[in-house]
Amino acid sequence: MNFRKTLVTTTALASFAMVGAAAAADYTIGITQNNVGVDSYQTTYEKAFIAAAEANDKVDAVVLDAGGDVARQIAQMEDLIQQNVDAIIIWPTNGQAVIPAVRKAHNAGIPVIVTNSNIAEEGFDFVRSFSGPDNVTQGARSAEIMCDKFKEMGIENEAQVVQISGQPGYTTAIERAGGFEDRLPEVCPNVTLVETQPGDWNREKSQQVMEAFLVKYDDIDGVYSGDDNMGVGALNAAKAADRAGDIIFVGATNFAVGYEAMGRGEYWGSIYQSPVDDAEAALQTAIDVLDGKDIPFLNYFDTPKITQDNMSEFDKPVF
Amino acid sequence: MAQSHLKAVGEILAKHGILVAFILFMIAFALLNPRFINSDNLLGVVRSSAILGVMAIGVTFVVVSGNLDLSVGSMMSFSTIVVLDLHDKLGPLLGIPAMFAMTMALGALIGFLVGYLKLNSLIVTLGMLSAIHGLTLTYSGGKNMDIADKDGTWFGFFGQGELLGVPVPILMFALLAAGLTLVLSKTPFGRKVYAVGGNGVAATFSGIPRARIVFYCYLISSFCVAMAGLIQASRSLGSQNTVGQGLELQVLAAVILGGASLLGGSGTIFKTVIGVLILGFIQNGLLLVGLEFYVQYIVTWVIIILAVWLDIAAKRGQLWSPIA
Repeated sequence: MNFRKTLVTTTALASFAMVGAAAAADYTIGITQNNVGVDSYQTTYEKAFIAAAEANDKVDAVVLDAGGDVARQIAQMEDLIQQNVDAIIIWPTNGQAVIPAVRKAHNAGIPVIVTNSNIAEEGFDFVRSFSGPDNVTQGARSAEIMCDKFKEMGIENEAQVVQISGQPGYTTAIERAGGFEDRLPEVCPNVTLVETQPGDWNREKSQQVMEAFLVKYDDIDGVYSGDDNMGVGALNAAKAADRAGDIIFVGATNFAVGYEAMGRGEYWGSIYQSPVDDAEAALQTAIDVLDGKDIPFLNYFDTPKITQDNMSEFDKPVF
Repeated sequence: MAQSHLKAVGEILAKHGILVAFILFMIAFALLNPRFINSDNLLGVVRSSAILGVMAIGVTFVVVSGNLDLSVGSMMSFSTIVVLDLHDKLGPLLGIPAMFAMTMALGALIGFLVGYLKLNSLIVTLGMLSAIHGLTLTYSGGKNMDIADKDGTWFGFFGQGELLGVPVPILMFALLAAGLTLVLSKTPFGRKVYAVGGNGVAATFSGIPRARIVFYCYLISSFCVAMAGLIQASRSLGSQNTVGQGLELQVLAAVILGGASLLGGSGTIFKTVIGVLILGFIQNGLLLVGLEFYVQYIVTWVIIILAVWLDIAAKRGQLWSPIA
């Protein structure tokens, strides 16, 4: 991992050196990412961010990666402040621990944009804008997708649902689960959520959890998973038990495997969240801030519903 | 007469305290939710424990030889990702042996560092834990790896197939356990593993090639990891880069729970298998009982510590240590 990180950092430093030489752009925008390479989403995000910055003549980008390490991210924030960039985008490694560094940038007069996952509320005063997905809405939309399907099937008065949530303690996991649990009784008051267990964003773990659910409950009509990766794990378990045909699978963050399973008619729906949109929205938010435009503090980019019915309108996710 | 019977029972208890603990937990879970002993559930748990089990069998060799292996989780991610990638590039017939060769090359490297260079195994394998993770990410570019044509391949056989009504992962787990039990308990090599772990200096003076024995233990461990990666990849036909993350501690927990000494020189494959099954059934049992999942983390470890205590108490014949 260290080798790769070094490579990324070196490339980033080299591109910064080039910024100094060219100096034609209006804005220099620095970004410190959470952990590129840990999953496909973050890897694609970085590529899309660099591509978007290169395509924009107004912008030069300094792209850094914290490698999941809070201390390194704080050091990178300080480097960016030293380099006196025009704006800093941060994908927090930890919502609490980065606040002092964010405050330091704010005090130095550099606007800070948080991307993808927000920092803790105590730090909001030092942040100009948050650009990212609205996870509560995503959870709510998943509930709507599932409810609509139950109504179509005519089982909205008796259906039983289980939930496989993300890693306990993660904001994204908590917000999606909360959105789902709040919205489901509003749209389908007679559907019962019988149990929630964490799948830790891990396909294998989710498969084991689903195996236990299948033993425990004779009647499962729907499975909501915090992301498609876990959803496909649950689907695998149901297929092995010959019960996949009776169950409606709904996820979030449409992965390529989820998209393919939808194409095969095994997986009903998800939320389309593109790392490309995420990266481009973050860069655009930073540019808008520097242009002096009025932007909302919570600047969500849209994450639409995707189901077997409308999937042809979406490109297959690259991750 | 009756007394000698009692004595015999006592001896069995002392020898197999962990087995008794295992049976007690099974009865407790079955009382709490009768579905727990449904044969589908039992087979399902053993099947999903097979991955952890196969790895734990290999690590037993390393632990008995007096060393540690913390790299098996990362190494399992590596072999899973590699075999999935090679499946599409070379085809499964070539891809599987190629993955075994690559994984065992890593095992050979660790064996060389710990055996021949006599570096501390904790540091070496802790370093390899993150180095191999980096290797996996570099190899895959951070992307999830998936087999393109999931319906048109026989590769799912190792993880999802059945032979004579028994899931293939269980068969592989059982065969490996039986084979390596013979190696560890019945061959000169196996005796040397115990000798090296029990007293390395004495073993050296007895003419046992200590470095070579340790080297082979790591080679066996990496072979088992490759097998676990094969089952894992075949089970889901796709994987994240982090699939094995954290498994190293569960594997060690299973081995130690089975009664192997961290200091080396003791432990058997059979007891490790019991350790693996305890971990697997605790996880499944708590899910079926329906405990709030935050509580599950705590209860899991309470049960494990209870099991270890029962095991030790049976060995020394009393609950408390006579020497305070």
